[in-house]
Amino acid sequence: MSSMTTPIAVGMVAPSFALHGDARRALSSSEARGRPWVLAFVRRWSPGADTEAIRAELRGLGAILFIVSDAGVWSFRPDDDLELSIAPSRQLRREIAALGARCGVGTRDDGVLVVDDAGIVRFAHAPSSELTSSLADALDAAGRELLGLPTRPGITRRDWAVMSLVAGFGLVLFHGCGGRGTEPAAPTTVVAKPGTEIEVVLRINGQDRRLKIDPRTSLLDALREHLALTGTRKGCDHGQCGACTVLRDGHAVNACLTLAVAAEGAEITTIEGLARGDRLHPLQAAFIEHDAFQCGYCTSGQIMSAVALLREGRSKTDDEVRQQMSGNICRCGAYPNIIAAIQAARKEV
Amino acid sequence: MKSPLVGTAIDRVDGKKKVTGAQTYAAEVQVANVAHAVIVGSTIGRGKIKAIDARAAEAAPGVIAVVTHHNAPQFPGVTGQHEGNDRVVQGLQDDIVLYHDQPIAVVVADTLERAQHAATLVTAEYEAASTVADVEADLPAAFVPETPRGPLQTSRGDVAAGLAAATHKIDTTYRTPVETHNPMEPHATTAVWQGADRLTLYDSTQAISNVRRRLSGMLGLAPENVRVINHFCGGGFGSKGAPWSHVLLAAIAAKASGRAVKLACTRPQLQSLVGHRPKTVQKIELGADARGRLTAIRHDVVSETSRYDLFVESCTAVTRMLYACPNLATVQRIVRLDVPTPTFTRAPGESTGTFALESALDELAHAAGIDPLELRRKNHADHDPETGKPWSSKSLLECYRRAAEAIDWSRRPAKPRTVRDGRWLVGLGIATTTRPSRQLPSSARARVLADGRAVVQAGTQEIGTGTYTVMTQIACDALALPLGDVRFELGDTALPEAPPSVGSFTAASTGPAVHNACVALRKKLIDQAIGDPASPLHGLAADAIDAEDGALFAKADRKRRDGYAAIVGRSQQPEISVELHTEAHKDRDNFSVGGFGAVFARVRIDEELGELRLDRLVGAFAAGRILNPKTARSQLIGGMVWGIGQALHEHSVRDARTARMVTRDLADYHVPVHADVPDLEVLLVPEDDPHVNELGVKGLGELSTPGVAAAIANAVYNATGVRIRDLPITPDKLMKQPEPR
Amino acid sequence: MKPFSYVRPADAKAAIAAAGTEGASFLAGGTTLIDLMRLEVMTPSAVVDLGRLAMTAIERAGDGVRIGAMARNSDVAMHPLVVERYPLLSQALLAGASQQVRNMATVGGNLVQRTRCPYFRDLAVPCNKRAPGSGCSALDGYTRSHAILGTSPSCIATHPSDMCVALAALDAVVHTRHGSRERAIPIGEFHTLPGEHPEVENVLGQGELITHVELPASPFAAHARYVKVRDRAAFAFALAAAAVGLDIADGRIRGARVALGGVATKPWRSAEAEQALVGQPPARATFERAAAAAIVDPKPRRDNAFKVALAQRTIVRALELAWGSP
Repeated sequence: MSSMTTPIAVGMVAPSFALHGDARRALSSSEARGRPWVLAFVRRWSPGADTEAIRAELRGLGAILFIVSDAGVWSFRPDDDLELSIAPSRQLRREIAALGARCGVGTRDDGVLVVDDAGIVRFAHAPSSELTSSLADALDAAGRELLGLPTRPGITRRDWAVMSLVAGFGLVLFHGCGGRGTEPAAPTTVVAKPGTEIEVVLRINGQDRRLKIDPRTSLLDALREHLALTGTRKGCDHGQCGACTVLRDGHAVNACLTLAVAAEGAEITTIEGLARGDRLHPLQAAFIEHDAFQCGYCTSGQIMSAVALLREGRSKTDDEVRQQMSGNICRCGAYPNIIAAIQAARKEV
Repeated sequence: MKSPLVGTAIDRVDGKKKVTGAQTYAAEVQVANVAHAVIVGSTIGRGKIKAIDARAAEAAPGVIAVVTHHNAPQFPGVTGQHEGNDRVVQGLQDDIVLYHDQPIAVVVADTLERAQHAATLVTAEYEAASTVADVEADLPAAFVPETPRGPLQTSRGDVAAGLAAATHKIDTTYRTPVETHNPMEPHATTAVWQGADRLTLYDSTQAISNVRRRLSGMLGLAPENVRVINHFCGGGFGSKGAPWSHVLLAAIAAKASGRAVKLACTRPQLQSLVGHRPKTVQKIELGADARGRLTAIRHDVVSETSRYDLFVESCTAVTRMLYACPNLATVQRIVRLDVPTPTFTRAPGESTGTFALESALDELAHAAGIDPLELRRKNHADHDPETGKPWSSKSLLECYRRAAEAIDWSRRPAKPRTVRDGRWLVGLGIATTTRPSRQLPSSARARVLADGRAVVQAGTQEIGTGTYTVMTQIACDALALPLGDVRFELGDTALPEAPPSVGSFTAASTGPAVHNACVALRKKLIDQAIGDPASPLHGLAADAIDAEDGALFAKADRKRRDGYAAIVGRSQQPEISVELHTEAHKDRDNFSVGGFGAVFARVRIDEELGELRLDRLVGAFAAGRILNPKTARSQLIGGMVWGIGQALHEHSVRDARTARMVTRDLADYHVPVHADVPDLEVLLVPEDDPHVNELGVKGLGELSTPGVAAAIANAVYNATGVRIRDLPITPDKLMKQPEPR
Repeated sequence: MKPFSYVRPADAKAAIAAAGTEGASFLAGGTTLIDLMRLEVMTPSAVVDLGRLAMTAIERAGDGVRIGAMARNSDVAMHPLVVERYPLLSQALLAGASQQVRNMATVGGNLVQRTRCPYFRDLAVPCNKRAPGSGCSALDGYTRSHAILGTSPSCIATHPSDMCVALAALDAVVHTRHGSRERAIPIGEFHTLPGEHPEVENVLGQGELITHVELPASPFAAHARYVKVRDRAAFAFALAAAAVGLDIADGRIRGARVALGGVATKPWRSAEAEQALVGQPPARATFERAAAAAIVDPKPRRDNAFKVALAQRTIVRALELAWGSP
């Protein structure tokens, strides 16, 4: 750890700032007036794989984010295109050093401040040498701290304080919640008491996904709310519309009527698991070609049912296909095009 | 010159997202630590909340807040002024109950499961009053309301004289039931406050700017401090045209809990909280001379509204303009019921009114012994009989001709019960369909970036109609860019304002706006090049320059070119852009504008069991220029499926005693499934209309729904001799009555 | 959903033990239980997941067939033994629900399927089946989907199953285990009429596990038909359904089976109709007499009076199709 100047503490008025670099317009903290903001010193940050996760964190914080890095300064709003606000320059570097000094962040250090809509610092992370893990994870930690939520599974509050912004954070996150390690062959009776969470391993699109969930959680909500696999849609939550159709061991089922915990040990395939990289499944391609959707909300379910239908191979005529597909409602009325797409893809599957 | 993209059946530009599940809807936006809100509904239909007990819910695990009228933040704007097409909503501001399932509390918890269960723990005691659930239970109370949505009472000529002079007369009453939109995506709002006075709503809506205007008004926020985002809407059909209570409740719940909140209505809630098509009772009198020329039309409609808001299902709009008839009188009355307010539902007024009018025409044809198609041709309106204005274009006769040919109408026996096929009776029916076309003001922004590609933006919505796709096509043509080089953005109030995606007017409103913005941008690029000494086109006259493939060139010397990227690069700006506001086309005032079509149905009926199979449904439609035949056909078959649902399935039922909805889910509220829908036949009749707008587009999202129910009912009559005047046409109505014992 | 304890036993013995306590419920396919738990119409204290139990076999048993309680509806419907020997069952299963639901729902679960009465599913209104003694909202309510046979002043809810109608016609026997006790329950005795206790729907005791269903040898395979009339062409509950089988020899009906669905409070076998058929030549007039005999003392309400005629006509149609007439 490098030396600290005056550390910013929770409860203090946040430092206002204006960074110019060589740009014509300054980027200043007044852009955030009236709303919460986050100032992140992340020396090695540049836009990459974590931008979507950062957006989610910023929405949760209701904040906009200023990222100060060696590659320039970004102002990052959760629902806008991310554009570099100020390109790197010697002038900018000097300004950043000065701002860092006011925040107690050394020139080689990383650190995060969260400021509320009244301009008061609500969260200040003591700077550490370098944030080599994800900025999104740091924001997640900040969000949880602010909302009084427990830190993510596998990390105690104390661990986090010590480890959060240092190298290896990500590793701790993803491996720290292990512990059982065995496949759920389940020769024994599994018991979860009312109101307690249960640890489950779901096999989804060929990957084991470990979750700690309420036993009441449906497979559908596990996908949508816990695994960010929102391609499987919730249309009725009662098995009456088919929007949530997934494959369970190759057969079409309603994920809404399936308890996630009861799906342990099954091979689950969702719409996200159909394409091979950029190569669409023939049914996906046929749905585009035949315009077999409009609003798109039922489409995942239609395609999953159709995948099972073609795999099973019993329904062949248009009328047979219509009967077998009747558990998938399309309110936009794309039915004729869906049938055409299925019949066209039949030859290629 | 490359062939234009407009008019080409390209695949949807958002197709790949939609088949891979990658597009996200309002409840799917990723928000860290989002809390879940669940609405608790009232269990009386009218009265007051005497006491509400939230203690058990508050004590339940994971519950962050339980908001009731006792502790809800008060917003005077909720009960304040609202505009014509807004709906009055309920936001826990008082103890009054106006309808069953009205929100009386919102529970916010850390997980969905916990919020759902805690919601069941909220109990209330009521002071309940009696309810009226059906217009026909209180017909004497029907009145003609004061509303801008009219005219509600019209007449021309002398109907009594017209009827007296008639050789053939029809006097019948038709009924259409309450229908509920039931889009596949349940209404949902994710609400995120940024500080005390800024709010972002990810809302499943057909009208982001309506949501911003209405919510900022109700919450007392500056409009610019409310941002509404909806990149994909999972169907709306009118139910997402104005924000309902749940949008306000999501914002209130987020405020009360100090958390970002996700609120998705349940399917049962969608039957009551987000509007419905009202029941209608329609009395029609027709008179015709011996040759079948209409001498009089009288159309009296009663439909329902709520106790606290006005909505009129304007069934008579079609009647006033569809046929040439000198004597006409129409009136629209409404009855107040203890139900939530009805609203626009796909082809509002037209689909219900056309069922009655086109059924009556069929009855008249039968009474007069005239072929139903011939009767319609005889009474074709060569100009708009209501306004006297000429049509900007009208191809109805051609629609009749082509659809009749496709379904072999000439071989239809006039006498019912003539065609048998085993246990089936087979019949053919016809109906006319129409929808007015409107153009609303819209803005759009076109930007060429440093790489020479374009981003075109308008705050419109993608509700499944293909907005991303057709706007991209329009922009590509106007900017002379290939398909992959234009990205169209929508669904964000941070973009230039565009009208709601309702009323079939997106293509005809935002289409011209996008076109004009792109044309202006192209002109700006040309001006830039002309004025730039470094440009190969420097000094040329503007009209000596054309564009293709992202570059300008001199018409006289195609090798003199200046690429867009180069022009932007030399401009010292990151981009060159134009934002433009487009008003309705000036020509429109001189014309009546609408799409027309003809729908023909062939049904088979097993009258022993009352089973009906729709054999064929053929529609021929003309709606000006077709931007994309592929997505246009999809909209038209979709509209026809809605007509099938209206004809055969859809019927929301309220308990007559309590006014509580009985059909609370998709097992009880039937919409068509795959097995109900044959391969639909759509004929697009070409139509060139120079008057409607720059693009010649009328819009066709609702054109194919009206007419379908009447065509099917008329086919039922031709097959069986049974006239169904009361939708939907279910087996019990088709079963041959038992022989009297 | 109300919180519950989740138990996933590895074998039947453990399952029965776990489900022995009041309020516990077995979870098979989940298509009824999870649906109704989400509405909190059903609020089991414990959910005993039968997913690990090997009770899925479909196999010969003497002259008949034995179907494991956890066999999926879709598997049963397509199984060669069923298709060949009990086409009635196959047809009935395929007429029910959606492909997704058929892929999930089990034979055991379908035997205890709950009614689709909309008032039963709505916690805000009285329902004797859901909340005993609270009253019946359907009696004077919207009754289009309700029963005309087997009703009581307490309940007129229709039994929704298609499968059970075929099982009733086929004389199925439901085998159960309860502790160390096993019993065989004829299908006709399995479901109970609502009477004064509509909350009781069958004779199963708390924790009694359905292990399998046995179908005796059937002479009806050549002349069997399930006809279902509904509001949509697929994915809808029956307005009326008939499962019939004819054993025809020398131009006479030697044996007959007639069962009704969609019109009664339990799967409805009609001995009267069968009696009217046996010994008669297969002919429309015979079928009509049988159909008339099948509907004894119906109790139609305001919205379902059409079911009297519809049920009869459905029987006639099913008999005609079973016989092979056009």
